[in-house]
Amino acid sequence: MVMNIVETRNVKKVYNQGKVQVEALRGVSLEIEKGAFIALAGPSGSGKTTLLNIIGGLDGMDEGSVSVEDNDIGAMSQSDLARLRLNRIGFIFQAYNLVPVLSAEENVEFIMLLQGIPGAERRDRARTILDEVGLENMYNRRPAELSGGQQQRVAVARAIVSNPAIVLADEPTANLDSATGESLLGLMRRMNEDKQVTFVFSTHDKMVMDQARRLVYLKDGRIEDDMA
Amino acid sequence: MGIDLKIAWRNIWRNRRRSILTILAIAFACLLLVFMLSFQLGSYADMIRFSLRIHTGHLQIKADGYQKDKDIRKVVSDPGAVAEILQAQPGVADYTFRANAFSLLSSHDRTYGVMVSGIDPQREARVTTIKHVIRQGAYLSGGDNNEAIIGNLLAENLKVGAGDEMVLLGQARDGSVAASMLTVTGIFSSGQTDMDRSVALITLDTFDRLYFMRGAVHEVVAVCPALGDVKPAQAAVQKALDGLKTRRHLRVWNWQELIPGLLQGIKIDFFSGIIFYMIMVIVVAFSILNTFLMAVFERTREFGVLLALGVTHGRLTRLLLLESSFLCAVGMVAGITGGALITLYFQQNGIHISGASEILKSYGLPEVLRPRLSWVTIISGPAVVFAVTFLTALYPALRARKLKPAAAMHAA
Amino acid sequence: MYRQLAWRNIWRNPKRTAVILTAVVIGVWSMIFLGGVMAGMYDAMIENQLSALTGHIQIHHPDYRNDPVVEYSINDPAIVANALQRVLPPGAVRADRVRVSAIAQNARHSAGITMVGIQPEKEAEISFIGQAVTEGRFIKNEQDDYGIVIGRALAEDFETKIGKKLILMSQGADGEIQSRAFRIVGIYQAQMQATEKAYVFVSLPAAQDMLKMGNAISEVAVLLPDRGATGQVVSALRERLPQNRYEVAGFRELMPLITAQVELWDTFMILWYVVIFVAMGFGITNTILMAVMERIREFGLVKSLGMRPRQIVALVLMEGSLLLALGILIGNLTGFASIWALAQRGIDLSVFAAGAERFSIPRIIYPTIHMSDVIRANLVVLVLGILVSLYPAIRAARITPVEALTKT
Repeated sequence: MVMNIVETRNVKKVYNQGKVQVEALRGVSLEIEKGAFIALAGPSGSGKTTLLNIIGGLDGMDEGSVSVEDNDIGAMSQSDLARLRLNRIGFIFQAYNLVPVLSAEENVEFIMLLQGIPGAERRDRARTILDEVGLENMYNRRPAELSGGQQQRVAVARAIVSNPAIVLADEPTANLDSATGESLLGLMRRMNEDKQVTFVFSTHDKMVMDQARRLVYLKDGRIEDDMA
Repeated sequence: MGIDLKIAWRNIWRNRRRSILTILAIAFACLLLVFMLSFQLGSYADMIRFSLRIHTGHLQIKADGYQKDKDIRKVVSDPGAVAEILQAQPGVADYTFRANAFSLLSSHDRTYGVMVSGIDPQREARVTTIKHVIRQGAYLSGGDNNEAIIGNLLAENLKVGAGDEMVLLGQARDGSVAASMLTVTGIFSSGQTDMDRSVALITLDTFDRLYFMRGAVHEVVAVCPALGDVKPAQAAVQKALDGLKTRRHLRVWNWQELIPGLLQGIKIDFFSGIIFYMIMVIVVAFSILNTFLMAVFERTREFGVLLALGVTHGRLTRLLLLESSFLCAVGMVAGITGGALITLYFQQNGIHISGASEILKSYGLPEVLRPRLSWVTIISGPAVVFAVTFLTALYPALRARKLKPAAAMHAA
Repeated sequence: MYRQLAWRNIWRNPKRTAVILTAVVIGVWSMIFLGGVMAGMYDAMIENQLSALTGHIQIHHPDYRNDPVVEYSINDPAIVANALQRVLPPGAVRADRVRVSAIAQNARHSAGITMVGIQPEKEAEISFIGQAVTEGRFIKNEQDDYGIVIGRALAEDFETKIGKKLILMSQGADGEIQSRAFRIVGIYQAQMQATEKAYVFVSLPAAQDMLKMGNAISEVAVLLPDRGATGQVVSALRERLPQNRYEVAGFRELMPLITAQVELWDTFMILWYVVIFVAMGFGITNTILMAVMERIREFGLVKSLGMRPRQIVALVLMEGSLLLALGILIGNLTGFASIWALAQRGIDLSVFAAGAERFSIPRIIYPTIHMSDVIRANLVVLVLGILVSLYPAIRAARITPVEALTKT
């Protein structure tokens, strides 16, 4: 039997934009098995990002339930959610979102520091993972001194380094050219296979959808199609 | 904690101009407070010392009722017994005796009513500074010699100088007439208008004979090693005096009771200073509040990411407060250093306010003012600045607690 | 056009504008309000002193003020009276006085005091003493030969009361010590205890008679309907009265200490204005700088559209000026309002009465508005404020389109 790492039940979410109510999610039920490499696709406004945010505990829902590794997200406090994100969930964003005043190595170390891992081990692991993502000579560069692709590699390293159960990636390749995007995706795929980390993407990118082992297609806040 | 410090420190220098302006504002407030408090407290110390050491002393022992109406019959009849008490008191550094009588003093063509005081020249010189403010002629020598020293304003009024003779006319303790010829041996200038205009000093021995005092005096004036010793010494001496068997009960007065205006005047000046400083600090606080606000608003997205990574709201608040504290600390160090240097410069060289010496004199201040740097003046002003700055930074830092990660990340 | 644009720009970030506006308002308010308290204090000090026997103008023998003795009297008061009659504006009042130091004595006490011989009706129009008698009566008329009015503090010191005798001793015109017994008919209260202990009042003829002065007087005091006319009247009198025989002095010369004190405080207030300005100046510069830096793209755009650097400077300065003008307006209004509110009851310093007296500060201060102070405070803020806005304005003008595009 395959264990599910994420289960959503009939999740609904409404945004109030001024006087207009936008129904971002209209009842999404989804099960994601451990070790998946899954893409959420769909047009703008279909609810991909909202769903990722709710799974990651960044945003609340109006109805339904979400569990991550059997934790009921809806019932957890802000600080419990923070702890869950810190230890079990990694994030990768479209705009990289590294801490601008920290170097590549420090950005990666930052998460482990929050986890309370001792200094020497942090350094070793940060350098190892930066080597793995192909940034051997760039430990001390600040984000402003790195290209977009390099920044996103740091972001992947940051998401992976804490050994999370699941990595949520919101349009990770959208700001990259196709060659850079492809190599980054290859990197994530390798991480998925080597380390058994579950990856969930939201994407527009055809190439990402092709590489995904499972593709969930959202439209108007509902799941339209779910293909393995 | 190491990385928080690093992040905070680097964030400050992300926006160099803004941080420098903020640091300058804090430094300015600290500098001004260090200097002004040193200046004020220094002046107060001078004012107290100047006022007390010239004549009043720290403590005076008088017979009941004498403080109010200076009746020549209300005497301390056994000064020796009081001296023994004072001698045994570690809180009393030294003491002297005085007797006073309001009398007429006439020169060749002028007559003025003055306070004639008999002093013990040697003892007086150890307790007050009168010996050092003789401007013409000499200080009193000891013994019964019909010598007098008078204030410079009185000398002008009487049109006499050192060596001239005057006639004294008064009423002795027993009601008889006290009259004598006195020789002006010296003219003093204390800087205190009242004293320079209306006091004549003769030796205690002369006074005793002229006013028929039979060994009694009116006041025993004592000084303490430091101002802080005054209150305990007063209590101890009073207790000892209460045990003394004299015809009139004796009471110890401290300098605040003797010159009530002095401490109150200082209080008025000090409190009005505090009002001015508080307003300044509040203006500075609002002046720099925008820096802290902006530090939160323009980095909403960044904070969203940190929250997504699992940083707690509490830690975010701490990070922001750390940034503000850094800014403040740099400003404080700069301000304290600048303020201390300026203060030390003027402490060495003094401050001359041109044309104000008459006013200063009327306040009981010397002509050259000197600020005095101390731990109190270095710490207290900047501490208030730090507290207020911290409170100012608290508002935006607490606002960061309300950030919702998803919304924050998508903020512009 | 600029003004409208500037005004809208200010309110693009209302919270930030509100914060810096608060700094300016508190600063300006404190300048106006504390200036008002200070002004109230000077006014009271000057008025106290004027009514405490100074008046606006005094005429003496040239040596009297240095050495106030009977020897230096005005021996021909008629000449002075004549000159005054010709020069004084309508509504002015004057009184002759004998004023010498003397010794007061009763059975148990004696003290040095100033004995003032007055013309009761005229004196009441000039100095405080007419309204100050709280017990007994004022000197009745010039024939009130043996009546004396003394201060309450002196009465307490002397353990005496109305109806008792008091002996005055002073040097007469003949050089001999003269003494005379008076009967206490009234007790007065003054603003300051020092006044109550210093002055005793008798009738002018009684003083002249006691001191064997004939009809000579020590001084003539004049109160003008308007303090501002003092200088003019003084010079007119100086023309008529020979300077080797008469000295004419205006109130500023008569109270050099208070004049100097007021000048010292005035200097202090200007320093205070500058300090407060510096405190808010950093914030003004900073806030405008922030507003400029986050609009780099916009400035790059308008520059590439052809806006000249000078016009950009003008726009940013306009934003600064509007901010300052608004802050000054609110600061002035709140300042006036708080002065007005406090002026009803005054600031009571009685708790510190003895201390206030030491610095010659009145016991109750009624804040008041001196327009010149207000204008001075506002000018400091406006002029220096525009000056410190110059830095961000010039920074904005230097933004190049390229810099604007590379900035995210």
